[in-house]
Amino acid sequence: MNTAHPPKWADRFLSWYCNPRFLEEIQGDAHELYFRRVDEEGISKANLKYIWDVLRFFRWSNIKRSNSKFRSTGMFKNYLKISLRSMVKNWSIATINIVGLSMAIAVAITMFIFIDMQLNMDSFHTNRNNIYQVVSKVKSDNGQITWGDSPILLGENLKDGHSAVKEYTRIEFSSANIRFAEDVFKENIAFVDPSYLEVFDFPIRRGDEKALYKKEQMVISHNMAERFFGKNDPIGEQMSVKFGNGKVVSMVIGGVLGKYPNNASFKLNCLIPMDHYYDQVKDRTFDWGDFTDATFITMQDGRNPRELHDLLVSSQEKQNEADSKWTVLSFDMYSLEGLSLRNHEISSDIAAGGHPAGRIGMGVISGLLLILACFNYMNIAVTSATKRLKEIALRKVMGGVRAQIIKQFLLENMIMVFLALIVGVFLSYYFFMPGFNMMIPITIPFEFSSLTTAVAFFGGMLLLIGLISGSYPAFYISRFQPVYIFKGNQKFGRKNIFSKVLLGFQMFFAFTTIVGCFVFTDNAFYQAERDWGYDKDGIISIAISNEEQYNGLRDAASRNSDIISYSGSYGQVGRFDGLTNVELVDGTSFRSIMYRVEPGYLSTMNIRKAAGDYFDIEKGTDQSQPVVVNQKFVEKMGWDDPLNQQFSYDSINRTVIGVVEDFISEGFYDPVRATMFFVGKPKQYNYFVAKTTKENAQKMDEYLAETWASVAPYDPYDRVYQEDVFNSFKTENNANITLMLAISIMAVLLASLGLFGLMSFNIQKRLKEFSVRKVLGATAASIVKVASKQYAWIVMISFCIGAPAGYFSIKQLLNSIYGDPKDIGAAPFVISVLVTFITIAITVSGQALKATRVNPAENLRNE
Amino acid sequence: MKGSYLGEFEELLLLTVGSLANEAYGVAIMDEINKETSRNVNISAVHAVLRRLEEKNYLESEMRGATSERGGRRKRYFKLTMIGKKAVVESMEVRSKLYNRIPDLAFKFSI
Repeated sequence: MNTAHPPKWADRFLSWYCNPRFLEEIQGDAHELYFRRVDEEGISKANLKYIWDVLRFFRWSNIKRSNSKFRSTGMFKNYLKISLRSMVKNWSIATINIVGLSMAIAVAITMFIFIDMQLNMDSFHTNRNNIYQVVSKVKSDNGQITWGDSPILLGENLKDGHSAVKEYTRIEFSSANIRFAEDVFKENIAFVDPSYLEVFDFPIRRGDEKALYKKEQMVISHNMAERFFGKNDPIGEQMSVKFGNGKVVSMVIGGVLGKYPNNASFKLNCLIPMDHYYDQVKDRTFDWGDFTDATFITMQDGRNPRELHDLLVSSQEKQNEADSKWTVLSFDMYSLEGLSLRNHEISSDIAAGGHPAGRIGMGVISGLLLILACFNYMNIAVTSATKRLKEIALRKVMGGVRAQIIKQFLLENMIMVFLALIVGVFLSYYFFMPGFNMMIPITIPFEFSSLTTAVAFFGGMLLLIGLISGSYPAFYISRFQPVYIFKGNQKFGRKNIFSKVLLGFQMFFAFTTIVGCFVFTDNAFYQAERDWGYDKDGIISIAISNEEQYNGLRDAASRNSDIISYSGSYGQVGRFDGLTNVELVDGTSFRSIMYRVEPGYLSTMNIRKAAGDYFDIEKGTDQSQPVVVNQKFVEKMGWDDPLNQQFSYDSINRTVIGVVEDFISEGFYDPVRATMFFVGKPKQYNYFVAKTTKENAQKMDEYLAETWASVAPYDPYDRVYQEDVFNSFKTENNANITLMLAISIMAVLLASLGLFGLMSFNIQKRLKEFSVRKVLGATAASIVKVASKQYAWIVMISFCIGAPAGYFSIKQLLNSIYGDPKDIGAAPFVISVLVTFITIAITVSGQALKATRVNPAENLRNE
Repeated sequence: MKGSYLGEFEELLLLTVGSLANEAYGVAIMDEINKETSRNVNISAVHAVLRRLEEKNYLESEMRGATSERGGRRKRYFKLTMIGKKAVVESMEVRSKLYNRIPDLAFKFSI
């Protein structure tokens, strides 16, 4: 005999699938043939033929059919039926379970979609693994920072210097006033190299990717096209573009981009060929010291960016020679694939992509809620299983093994989780996702980055939640011995420490979040209602760019009797303020806001006088010495009597003639800052402020807009009602309130559900005890006390830990967010505690009352 | 059970089992068919049809005759049952009856 042997795996496969009744003859025949073929045709052919035979034997009549009764579908059917029956029988508990779980699942789905989108930014650029942004590591005070900016000459240098670089494109941000017919808007524009549309795969609706190669052409975004042209085709239309240096250029629209995909990390509004940027600074040429906002390069397929190392080093040396102030320590290449994830590392970044803390925070919150819901589930599942101890014992007596019982319970859990998943998807789709979208500046569609992700996510959730929440009851209860269960010796579920710990944790979390939420909301309301330090009604400010515009508006305003007062200013409260350093005699300095205003500005803005006087209007704009400061400024200076104090600023000796009350100028996230007002000249003004009564504000707005069209036809009418200057803050504030409310409502709800489920089972189990108590003359009050005592303890303990925890953590948060948070009083504390206790009381009392209403005759009759 | 008629391959197998007398097991049957008809039949097909014939009670089988090249596994030997023999005889009779009816002319033409 020779030593050859049929391929082991094929042999094993055969023995695995083959019906044992036929295995001997089949394997025998196959082996006999094999050895004959080894002699006749050689081993390798024999191997192949053997495999072929094994595969051919793999037919229905030969395959091993299940021969174990335990695996039969009959048993599965039984499990299904039993679990459906127990669900129907305990429908309220089943509903609690499913609702609780599905809410947490809905949160998890929403967060997952959000995070999933963030992780798949820019995936529509087909070439994105070859595209890199070149960033500069620049020396700074403390170590080095990463700039998104790079030398303007770098891109070309890289392309010419190395064959691995296929193309480059630069982005230089700017803004311009763009006019078409009567419409003028201030638009964000970007000067880009013509290759921009070839490097990136942004959808192009009209025109083609070569559009930017013609210097007179520009490409605009979908949004901008709609703003200017509505539904009309803008191709070939002429627009006049007034660049930052005041030059007006006429350009033709050569292309319109399609709607940006939701996961585009940068969405440029208006693309203009780079040549125009060069035209603006004709008087000099760019050198290595000049930076542009971003440089992207595409590598040739299969080339490694490390190949560019030497070239990048030599470029860095060139830069260092040209610019000694901002020396680049090294250049680095960030792949577009991970750009939005690493974006937070870059200062002056171009791609959107938040700090990972946000993602992690949301992941943690939704994870916590999920765990809470799982606890809930486990708790109720364990207690509800106690009602089925006899069923389990009976199954065991009838020959069921432990593995079967485990399987049965896991299967039941899976069914529950599956139902919860379905409900969760609906909740997320109809409520949570739209709600979440309302709170964030972008809109996230309800979709996954790929089918695989979705399948993996839902499958994973089903398995994970099903196993986590189902394993404890399944593995724990299946261990019980039938004999003890039948004898009634199985002490279980009455003083279950595990359940109590779980419940305690839920309660703790509920108290933490609700106290935190109320403190936070209280502060948010306070910030929204806070006095701004001046009367904001009826004031409008318009951005201007030169003295003629100021003069035009001033003349028009003086002719209108509805306008109570007006003035020009450099800097406008709430919109723009110049920060500067004030140096003291002893050499120390502090930061102060500085406005240069027309003498009438303070009264126009209704800024409240605290001491001294406003500027003297009679003296006109030719007074550089007098200064008006706010109270914070006085405090910083340490003056007891601020009036007529003198200090030097900008090498002019200043005299304080008046003090105004502190007012909010920078928003609510920063504390009020020291502020000073000087008298400024018209040529310095960048705002025109006019005031009328609240009722006339709209009329004044229309009047000024009309004036503006004739004064400055190439510039947009950029006016803001003073009451709207902090609108973005308001939106954010409201979003925060909603988010906190949603989280705490969910936490309290989940905790109450858990408590409810646990109690209702416990009371049902102790019905006989209560009946006996009643027969022996217990009052309703004492029964309520007995029924709820053990839970009262848990609630008290978790309150004592949870409330302070919520209080302190939110206080920390508030101090880090708001410059001037409200002092936390007792009110939010009391309210939140009341709300929670009322919820809990309702939950508990319903159940406890059930205990008092028991009919002893009915409950004791059977024995 | 699929009717009592015999398929072509079934009939061939019955004949082969009968002709091999006491030596009819999977590989031997396959070899015989391959030799006599110069067809290339796979062993799995032989097994499948043998089992079917056994279910129809045309064949009966027993396990014996282990050899070392089969790793000590026994062979399943088949032999015709009474019903099997009858079925073969019947189908042979039908054939020869029909064969005898063919006029000579047809033969001459076909040659």
